[in-house]
Formats: sequence, C-alpha cells, structure tokens
Amino acid sequence: MTAIIELDRLSFRYPGATRDSLRNVSLSIEEGDFVAVIGGNGSGKTTLCKTFNGLVPHYWVGEFAGEARVAGLDTYDSSVAELSATVGYVYQDFQNQLVRPRVRDEVEFGPMNFGMADFAARGAEAMAMLGIDHLADRFVWQLSGGQAHLTALASVLSMRPRIIVVDEPVAEVDPAGAHALYERLTQLNRDHGITVVVIEHHAEFISQYARSVILMDDGAPVWHLPVAEAAARADELAAHGIPAPQIVDACAAAEVPGAPRTVAEAATLLRDAGVSPSAASSLREDDAGERGIAAAPRPVVAASSLSHGYRTVGGDLMPVLHDVDLTIHAGDRVALVGGNGAGKSTLMRLLGGLQVPRGGTIVLDGVDTRSAPSARLADHAAYLFQRPEQMFLKDSVRADVLLHPAGRGRDDADALVDRVLDRVRLTEFADRDGRTLSGGQQRRATLAIGLAMSPALMLADEPTASLDVASRDSVIGMLDELSDTIAAAVVATHDMHLVAEWATRVVVLEHGRIVADLTPRALFADDALLAKARLVPPQIVALGRELGIDPLPLSVAQWREAVAPIRTEALA
Amino acid sequence: MSRKTRDVLSVEWVKLELIRTAYATRGGLFARMDPRMVIGWYLLLAVAPWLTHNFTTILALFVITAASAALARVGPLVLGLFLIGFFTDFLYAFLAAWLFGGDANTAIALIEINLKLATVSLASIAAFVSLDPEKLSTGLLALGAPELLAFGVSYGYRMMPILFEEFGIVFTGLRLRSAPGARGFLGLKALWRWGTYAVQAFYPIFLNTAKSVRTTVESLETRGFTANQGRELRIARLSIGGLDVAVVAVTVMAVMTAFGLGSRWPLG
Repeated sequence: MTAIIELDRLSFRYPGATRDSLRNVSLSIEEGDFVAVIGGNGSGKTTLCKTFNGLVPHYWVGEFAGEARVAGLDTYDSSVAELSATVGYVYQDFQNQLVRPRVRDEVEFGPMNFGMADFAARGAEAMAMLGIDHLADRFVWQLSGGQAHLTALASVLSMRPRIIVVDEPVAEVDPAGAHALYERLTQLNRDHGITVVVIEHHAEFISQYARSVILMDDGAPVWHLPVAEAAARADELAAHGIPAPQIVDACAAAEVPGAPRTVAEAATLLRDAGVSPSAASSLREDDAGERGIAAAPRPVVAASSLSHGYRTVGGDLMPVLHDVDLTIHAGDRVALVGGNGAGKSTLMRLLGGLQVPRGGTIVLDGVDTRSAPSARLADHAAYLFQRPEQMFLKDSVRADVLLHPAGRGRDDADALVDRVLDRVRLTEFADRDGRTLSGGQQRRATLAIGLAMSPALMLADEPTASLDVASRDSVIGMLDELSDTIAAAVVATHDMHLVAEWATRVVVLEHGRIVADLTPRALFADDALLAKARLVPPQIVALGRELGIDPLPLSVAQWREAVAPIRTEALA
Repeated sequence: MSRKTRDVLSVEWVKLELIRTAYATRGGLFARMDPRMVIGWYLLLAVAPWLTHNFTTILALFVITAASAALARVGPLVLGLFLIGFFTDFLYAFLAAWLFGGDANTAIALIEINLKLATVSLASIAAFVSLDPEKLSTGLLALGAPELLAFGVSYGYRMMPILFEEFGIVFTGLRLRSAPGARGFLGLKALWRWGTYAVQAFYPIFLNTAKSVRTTVESLETRGFTANQGRELRIARLSIGGLDVAVVAVTVMAVMTAFGLGSRWPLG
C-alpha cells in the first residue's frame, strides 16, 4: 500500500486568528484506508480535512507552512478544482451542499462544471452505487434527511474521487439511516478501493466501521493507530471527550479485558470469561415502584380520535395521522419514536396547539385547542423546535428567555430568568447571542426558554440531535433534573440512548398510527416492534439481551449493578 | 371562536402555491417547450402591444395572452394577485379621468395603456410559470447570459422554499412567545403586531442563513463551479422540437391576425 495523503510539518493559521489551528502536523494516510478523525471541539479536525482538498490554503487564505501532498499533487501548487477530482467532501450540514433543484442535476453538477462529456453516465453510476436511482427526478427539498445525505455523497462520487471525506455523518440522520450510510461507505471502501476519512464522535461507529483512528488535540495529531489499538486506549479517548462505546465500558465493569467491536463480540468475550449477570436487585423494585405510582394521575393533554394531513404540492391531501388516541398524565416522560415521516412532529405540533387537527379533539391542560389561539396555548405548552437557532429570536440568551415571561407581564420575570439560567448552567453566557454557543449549550438555552414559559407540558423535537456524546449525555441529564418543574414532557426522538435513560413511556408511531405504547424496557425486548419501527437499541441493551438478562439493563450504571454481585461472588 | 385547518388562503397554501409556480409542477403547454423558444415566445407577445394604438388589436392581443395563461395552467395565487392589480388599475383609471375632468377619451386612453400592461403581465406570467429553475437558467445561458446570473436564478429558486420554511418557524416563535394583545378594531392591532413580527423575523433568519451559505459557497468551490467549463454541455442538452416551432408559428399567426382585425374594424 502507498500513502495517498502525506502531510509534512504542516501548520495553518486562519486570517485574524491569534493561534495556529494546525500545528506542525506530520501524517500519512494509506490508499484504501478507512480513517476516523476524532478529537474534542476546536481540536482542528475539520481544518485538517480541509487541507486534503485544498480549501486550506486556497479558499481559506491564511498562514500556511509545511507541505501537503494528496495523490502526488502538492496542494499548495495546485487548485481546489484539480484536487476536487481526487477528494470529495461531504459536509456536516449536507443540506446546504445541495444547490440544484433536482437530484439528477445535483449529482451531475460537478462533472458538468469540469466539462466532462460523460457527466450523465457518471451521475447515473454514482446514484446506482448508492442505490438512489429511484430518486433521480425528485426535487431536493422533497428528500428525507437520509436521502439528502446520500444525494450529497453521490454528488461527490460522480467525480470518481479516490478519497472521500465525510464530516460527522451521524449528526443529522436517524440511527438506521446512519448505519445505512456507513454500510455504503464501507462498500465504497471495500469494492472500489476509495479511501474514506470520517470525522466522528461516536465510538460505536468508529469501532464497528473504521480501520484506523487519528486522535487530534489542539491542532496536532496525538496518534494514528489501527482501530483495535485505539479502542484499547479507552481512558485516553475519554480524556479527549470521546467516551468509550458502552460495550467496552461493560467489559471493563465486569473486569474482562479486551475492546470488543460489536455486541456479538462483547457477548462472546463475556461468556468466555464466565460472566452471566442476572438483573440488578434494584431494578425489580424499580418496576414495582413504577406500577405503584400509576393510580389515576391528572391528564395533562388528551387527544381523542385525532386525524390530520397536509396538502402536497400536487394538491392531494396526504394523511399524516389516523385516529390517534393518546392521553399524557402528570409525571409522564414520553418518548415519541418512529421512522422519518411517521407523524411524530405533526403529533407534537397538534398537542402543543401550534396547529389544530382536521379531525378529533385535543384538550390541553383543560383547554380545547380549537377554542384558543396558539399564543394563549403557549402558556400551557412549550414547544422546542428541532434546530436550536430557530428559537433564538433576540440578540442574547437572556433576552430570549425573558421574552415570554416579560410579555405575559410577570412581575417576577427577571428573578425567574436568573433562576432558570442558573438551572441550565448558562448564567455566564447569558449576554451572548445563542448562535455563538456550542451545540450542547444551545440545546440547554432552548430548554431554558421552554422552562421560563412555565408550561404544564414541554414538547421537544429531537433535543439531542447532532450533539457529540458528552453534550448529549449532559442534555439527557438536564432533562432528567428538570422533570420536577414541569408536569409532563414529550420528546420526539431517534436517539435510543435518550429513550433508554430518560423516558418512562414510549409511544411508537408508524404511518400515522400508534402501534405501541409501552415502557422502554418492553420496547427493547420486542424484536418485531424494533424492526418495524426501524429502531436500533443502545449497545448496552443489546448486550443485555444477548446475555439473556431480565429485566434488561438500560444504562451502563444499571449494567454495573447487574455485574457487581457476580464480581463479589467471584472474589469470595 | 374556533380554529380550523384551512386549505386555501393560509400561510401553508401560499408556500405551496409559490413552489408550484416556481417549479412548474402543474405542467401546461409551455412547460414542455424548449426554454429558448419560451423566452422568444414571451418577447414576441411582450413587444407586440407597444407597436400599436389600435384598440381592436390590443383587445385581440389581450385575448391571445389570456388564452395562453389558461394553457399554461397559472395557479390561483398568481392569477388572483394579477386580477387584483388589473381591477385596481382600471378603477384608478376611471377615478383619475373623472377627478381631473377628463372625458370618455381620457378614460379610453388610460384603459388602453392598462390593457397593454395587462397583456404583457399575462404573457410573462404564462412564460415564467412554465419554466422550472433548471430550464430557465439553461435558457438564459444559451442566450448568452453570464454563468453567475444563470446560477443565481437557479439557486434563488432552490433557496426559496428554505427561506419560506425558516420564516414560518421564526414567525411562529415570535407569535407564541411575544406579549399577547387585543385584536383591536377590525383586527388592526393584531395586524400591526404581525407586521412587527415579520420585520423582527429578519434578524434571526439572516444570521441563521448566513451560516449555512458558507457551506454552500465552499461546496460550490470544490465542485468546480468557478472552473466554469460546463457551459456548452448544459446548452447542448436543449433541443427545439416540433411543438416549439408549432407554438411559435401559431402565436405569430395569431398576432398577425390581431393586427389584421385592427386595421379592418378599428375601435378607436
């Protein structure tokens, strides 16, 4: 194998920056490798990857020192256009990468710009490789997140690149979609010898798909190791903000050495080591406790025989919800799950009174949503939009949080805002524009906005989407802490960690109907249901099932409890 | 009061209508034509009314473009806006003639200019409703427009649904979270509030889109947009067929007939 990317003592500083974003980087990547670039925020991952296709230093003109050779070309002496024939780049916010009206135009755009006469053949080939030929005549704004991601990938594949860089592929698609994308990347890597570089936070994807790992810290690589060796350095990864996959943690908790890559591997390791945990004793009591509370609590929102639909561009009525009956009680933490287009967001908008249903009724906190304007219903239900920046309407976090309580003339508005900001630990950022905060802080700011509305019902659309693992865990923790101030919360999500660790009730939607309404534990025990709703349980749950633990552990903490008695027995 | 989901005259409807119009999803006669011929056809009808003062000819030309608009399947939103403009213009013409002491002749002169404007508007509506962004931009390229303009047209269309969606969400947020108030006489207070929200919505929208546009510009760079070698390839995709020739020929004959009618039976 030969090196396709060679960096030699490369440094780069963005214009106007006070320090280098890349510091003396020496690195080589073999042709045909599948590399994961990891590291905390601001460690220089994205800047590194932008040196591969010449965006640094040709588009981002800064102080550039050292040498970068990609497929034999010196990037400093060649142009972005030349390099783009070799390196394809798929952005994290890939939606913005799509610039043409239809999928086919989009995929042919690159080859056409470079004057390649076989642009149509290249486009067709790229779409066939990713299995999206059937989307060719769709408008790009009609695509689902997963389809749009594949289209962005196809549009760089049509250049027949030797290297593909994908920035945080998991950020904006559901788990099944993310696995599908990784499978495609693996196939491109294996069958077509394309070198794949991904920027990734999720250890479980890295260990399952990558072959080697580059850890970046403060503008320079700490090491570049084969994936097995990298995975074994769990403590070092955790120190750089990459928590180990749950199965690695699980092995460590059971004191079994090794860094399994898949759940099946972990199960084999644990079985061979003679670990066969039974359920933690606390879980059984937990279950009994849950049943105990269920004595006739107050309904916060009740929907009966709800149906709704939207007009399409073609003019037909596309039904989204059919005959949905759902009552949410005080104390419920409901996770609304289901594939894209199952009707999750629509149901949430109806529950919050943003829209009224075409059929059926919704009674929110004692008020029929048809009888009151949505602005009045906002006093009963807070709706948090999917993208945090859509909730930042003012020029500081404080002003945004204050908007609702001050507008309703609450005397204690300022004190309330101080209290809420303190609760989400954003007091020190209160005067900044929400858009300048990190992803996790932005989510917490939206939670603060919701809390200050003092709602009975909190509705959040994908509150953990596009967060790295550490920020995601902090948001889940925060949701957990806040449950005492709101009567009930409903979250629409693809994130099974959130479902496992936070929810007390899971409502599974499919094609606009509720197909199941159960506890997270019951959901993860039901194979048929999981497959039907395209859900992938968290690794720790899958491992628990593989080993036949009942009740299932839903978090690593619960797993620790489950293995703890065995360890003591073994010691005794 | 009771809220219900409306299918027309709602924000959602306006959005759908704009998309249908911009992307020519209704089809229609001219949507099947070569964009260069559509532009040519449009120029023919846009120029013709200015070459005459004959009222009969102008009326006939108006009828031709009205028929074309029907064939182009213009949607209710655009047609509605056109009709509002058309009738207020006439009203204004009569009022002006009457207030400033004009007679029937003044009114007819004003109606004539209004009819000419209406004819040109209808022709442009029919033409541009039939051109989806890709066709329009390729057509402009073929007629010698700079690459950047052609791309700007197609990218503008691409951004439209996104901006509209974003505006809807930010506006909803403002409406839900800002201070509520009375509707006021004829809902004027509510209208004023909504006006302020619409203006306030621009701050977040600009900042939110500025961030995403950076990705777009970088991606354009990597995908050779500035390499700019695709002009011939794009133009080579166009072809003028039997339908194109037939439509233009029929239109030329219709226009000639209009002028013929005018010289035979002049109305004024």
